[in-house]
Amino acid sequence: MTATTVYSARRIHTMNPAQPTASHVAVRDGRILAVGDLARLQAWGPHTLDERFADKVLLPGFVEGHCHLKEGSLWEWPYLGWFDRRDPAGKVWPGLRSMAAVVARLAEIDAEMIAPTSTAAAEAEASGAAQAPLIAWGFDPIYFGGERMTVAHLDGVGDGTRPIVIAHANGHLMNVNSAMLHAAGISAETEVEGVMKFDAGPLAGQPNGELQEPAAMYLVLKHVGNAGLLAPLSEAGLRAFGAIATYQGVTTATDLVNRLAEADLAVLRGACGDDHFPVRIVPAFQAFHGTHGAAAGAEHVRALIATSTDRLRFGLVKMMLDGSIQGFSARLRWPGYFNSPNGTKNGIWVTAPAQYEADFETYHRAGLTIHSHTNGDEASGAAVDAIERVLARAPRPDHRHTLQHGQMIDAPMFARMGALGLCANLFTNHLWYWGDQHHDMTMGPDRAHRLNACRSALNAGVALAIHSDAPVTPLAPLFTAWCAVNRITPSGRVLGAAECLTVAEALRAITLGAAWTLKLDAEIGSIECGKRADFAVLHDDPFELPPSKLKDARIWGTVLSGRVFSASE
Amino acid sequence: MNEARIPFTVIGGFLGAGKTTLLQRWLLAAAGRRIAVLVNDFGAINLDAALVAQAGADTIALSNGCVCCSIGDDLSAALLRLLATQPPFDAVVVEASGVSDPWRIAQYALAEPRLALHGVLVLVDAAGLAANLADPLLADTLQRPLAHADLVVLNHADRASSADLAAALAWVAQDAAPRHAAAAPVITTQRAALPVHLLFSLLEQPIHQARGGGWLAVGQAPGLAAPPAHDTRFEAWQPQPAGCFDEARLRAWLRALPVGVLRLKGWLLLAGGGWAELQFAGRHGTLRRLPANQPAPASGAAIVAIGLAGQVPVTTLTCGLQHCEVAPLMHAPALARRIGNTIDRSV
Repeated sequence: MTATTVYSARRIHTMNPAQPTASHVAVRDGRILAVGDLARLQAWGPHTLDERFADKVLLPGFVEGHCHLKEGSLWEWPYLGWFDRRDPAGKVWPGLRSMAAVVARLAEIDAEMIAPTSTAAAEAEASGAAQAPLIAWGFDPIYFGGERMTVAHLDGVGDGTRPIVIAHANGHLMNVNSAMLHAAGISAETEVEGVMKFDAGPLAGQPNGELQEPAAMYLVLKHVGNAGLLAPLSEAGLRAFGAIATYQGVTTATDLVNRLAEADLAVLRGACGDDHFPVRIVPAFQAFHGTHGAAAGAEHVRALIATSTDRLRFGLVKMMLDGSIQGFSARLRWPGYFNSPNGTKNGIWVTAPAQYEADFETYHRAGLTIHSHTNGDEASGAAVDAIERVLARAPRPDHRHTLQHGQMIDAPMFARMGALGLCANLFTNHLWYWGDQHHDMTMGPDRAHRLNACRSALNAGVALAIHSDAPVTPLAPLFTAWCAVNRITPSGRVLGAAECLTVAEALRAITLGAAWTLKLDAEIGSIECGKRADFAVLHDDPFELPPSKLKDARIWGTVLSGRVFSASE
Repeated sequence: MNEARIPFTVIGGFLGAGKTTLLQRWLLAAAGRRIAVLVNDFGAINLDAALVAQAGADTIALSNGCVCCSIGDDLSAALLRLLATQPPFDAVVVEASGVSDPWRIAQYALAEPRLALHGVLVLVDAAGLAANLADPLLADTLQRPLAHADLVVLNHADRASSADLAAALAWVAQDAAPRHAAAAPVITTQRAALPVHLLFSLLEQPIHQARGGGWLAVGQAPGLAAPPAHDTRFEAWQPQPAGCFDEARLRAWLRALPVGVLRLKGWLLLAGGGWAELQFAGRHGTLRRLPANQPAPASGAAIVAIGLAGQVPVTTLTCGLQHCEVAPLMHAPALARRIGNTIDRSV
């Protein structure tokens, strides 16, 4: 195809410093042919002038450098989170700010499931089985000021006979009702430590419905199958993800933990093989294995690279060193946690530092780009130490290895990262979603003020991206950029004004910055000749809005490799 | 077989402590029993091709009936696959990763009714411990698993100096003391040489045949040097409890078993009727009532505890158990036998 389409726009922000803005962009064969004014583009010969974006603002398609495709499939279950959240169809589900609100929402869902038209009710009736369980996600007790959900809340839903399972936002806990406890055989006699019990009152010693950690949740998962965050990826879920990506302006997204086994690959290839699938996917191989798995893992990823297509890119490897800060499982340097509920001094290693270094070296020597989960500063430091030694043994120019989250990295550590060529993809959404909890509970004010220190990273010359970790927080790069620009918490506190980014810097971090960490910056991330024709199409110009309104810029849809995707269709 | 619950053992210990060596040893020495071993990945396990009957993506079946399964990232799924296998395995062993807490994995056996928590073994590299402890990133990771170890195995003793060994013993004692009345029993090994019999239900083992040769007399898989005919490092306490017992007292007794008991298993008749299953493993005692609709245990009333040779507190155990009895009946004198060398200690 050699047809050329020229799009006119109210303004095009290119992210190309040599030509920051333009009025027209010419697209041929899914790539950008030229950028400028109409006269400059006409020199390329015959074209079709497409004016559908004449009143819109074009930016490079947003790149989400750390999210998970579950962001789409989780919506197969109802959402119970504290914050408002939009589903793939665009409907906003209001945040539930009290236990009563959570219970009321559950009662609505239960009533819908009872209705004769509901598929769940029909299926349960057809199979003669017990009532279909009600499974929901997104609940996070950290926002309820110490109040914990128990069976006392949940048993008031419906007639109390339908099993209810609520997966917490962090994936490590769940709450269930008495019907589910009974079905799972959980009683006062159950000795599993993660089966929480009432410690006082008439029910003292009875399970209260909160189940912590895998062994306790295993009892429930045996009965209901994998729920919530543990459910396998489906093609329908992937398409739901695509719908969210479109209305958030995202054209390239990672899936930053994927087994990449046959079933996973079939789902990815099924969706991405369709030209109407609206987002380019960069899955990262889940390098979570024993001490002898790295060689086979590296070989697997290298073989997959040869099968990459425009919409499906292999080559990324994900490793993991520690847990999460709000779960008090991240590894922190001195002085450790600030005000942890049970006196936790430090978190856990998910991978032993020595094994991390050995595995990292294997993947590094195979020429792959490794993204390492390090939340706490001790974990980030251990990664920097290990990578420094690996790079001394096996220098490799332009590796683009990236620390993911890196939430507590300070200026001296960024300086070391800069010297080693390490990139940072910081979790700026935490500033909003858990900023107050970090200030008051997890790390205290000193370190909360340098949480996700974007300015320090740029000062040290570290290539910077910022992310949502969706579905941990919603996929919405403009919101992520807003967090980096404003650093404000729900209580109105500004966490470290000196670390704020400008709007231009934040928008770069969600386009060219993220593309750099994926080593795709030669193809995507800016609007210039030769790159993929990937655009985020906005109604509003984010540079014209006050920085405090950046998250509110309205998005029309996207263009991916020259194909137009409207969010409203 | 009346004993439907499968003994479940967790092996913990930091990188290089010898977990893989131990699992490999046990797979080869299964001696007619079918062991299922769950490991983090297959790469570390080095099995003679002649022993492999079938190798799949996540399971290797051995010609001796044992299997080795990859945990991947989902222990729940791996366990459910194992539990679906018929006939059931004689024992399940799970390898904890070098940084994970084996006690968290042991919780699965407390959760799953078809499993019985049988033991938490923690291996320590006696030769490398000092260097590991010197790493400030690791000290807490090394300590955490000890809290629920019912046996600490100081491995690589052949590579450790006597000063290393003394320091390791002191570290185990010091770390365990704050949380427990006493440190876990400690055994010193080379190349993780521990008897495979530690994996199996105590009541089903031919302890009563000890006079005839003891644990390791059943025959050996090829490829291993013949071990001594019996293992003189362990000792059993095996009274013949003929009376009826009080449930509350038994629970209290299990909660505070004397130092020196590595693990205990038993079936006792309760005063109110019905049978109670007693289990002590991972320094955690459990009493479960046998549901009324289930047949009485094949062993009848029986109880066995094991510990390290010379360390089983026979008198204290006997008195403790007697105290739980509500209607003292005549019963045979409790016996302690040093396994393998046929020395009985009458109480």
